[in-house]
Amino acid sequence: MPDSKEMLDQTLLDMRSRCLSLAADLDRLDRAREIGTDPRLRQIREAIAILLESGPNRAERIHLILSDKTPPPHGKK
Amino acid sequence: MKLIDPHIHCVSRTTDDYQFMARCGVVAVSEPAFWAGFDRSSASSFADYFHHLTDVEPARAAQYGIEHYSWLCINAKEAENVSLAREVVRLIPPLLDHPRVLGIGEIGLNKNTPNEIMVFEEQVGLAAEHNQLILIHTPHLQDKHKGTAIIIDILKNDRRIDPRRVLIDHCEEHTIRMAREAGFWCGLTIYPRSKLTPQRGVDILEQFGPDQICVNSASDWGESGPHTLIDTLLEYRRRGHPERDAIEIFYNNPCKFFGQSPRWKLSATCGNIVS
Repeated sequence: MPDSKEMLDQTLLDMRSRCLSLAADLDRLDRAREIGTDPRLRQIREAIAILLESGPNRAERIHLILSDKTPPPHGKK
Repeated sequence: MKLIDPHIHCVSRTTDDYQFMARCGVVAVSEPAFWAGFDRSSASSFADYFHHLTDVEPARAAQYGIEHYSWLCINAKEAENVSLAREVVRLIPPLLDHPRVLGIGEIGLNKNTPNEIMVFEEQVGLAAEHNQLILIHTPHLQDKHKGTAIIIDILKNDRRIDPRRVLIDHCEEHTIRMAREAGFWCGLTIYPRSKLTPQRGVDILEQFGPDQICVNSASDWGESGPHTLIDTLLEYRRRGHPERDAIEIFYNNPCKFFGQSPRWKLSATCGNIVS
């Protein structure tokens, strides 16, 4: 298994690319204006905040932010 | 190394994909019945589709040395039309003895509606009545967490269902724990735009271990392809995991789950045809 430095060496360029890609997506949306209040974008901003937090399971926590939280039909769990 | 893609929709793929898979070492695939990208107009369309799955694709795959198996059902999206769904379900029992049919699937939920739930429960009953393996489709994106919980609740409360004979597919970081804790097999679908990337798939394998997990491409008519299975194997090996563990995940695990059907003919240990 690679150690943490090797892991960072292997993934840094991809992380950099994905970070810039997301920044460019947000810039593009800003330029389009009016969309700023869309609740889907609010969820994305909440998800981005998770990225800046410490602690495990960031992917799982972001999934839960982006999940439907309404109750199931017919009293199913 | 020999590989199996346990979930791929070959009816939507080109012959080039069969060539690619064969070159990469894929020796077998399994193809669940699914939504074709449009709603079909009658049960007769499904009769033709089931013929395509059970006879046409196995012959096409065989040209490239690939064993092709299939699963039959009405998919969750078209199950919203309950009368059509029941007509389609009536087509299935006579086909369950077909030598290429492994069970009922991919059944599950799409938008978690009452109609979908009713038809899902009826197809679980069909599988139980005929002692068939079950392949589960969990919903997409924001509907996945809720839908997976509903599905698991239904299956756990049905005493006829043995979780070791059910694979819950399209698991992600927020759903795999509940599926595994209930004793089900789990599928990881490497379909980067809406499901997992190869990197996230391997992250899950590292966190949960290889036991009772199968990896698939679920290649269909969307942005997908059989290369995602290979990319995941390469990512797994690139991180230093031994070949024996890769064989366990990418070959032996599908053999172990599918091998619970008497129609599956590949051995989990050597990859040879058993009979």
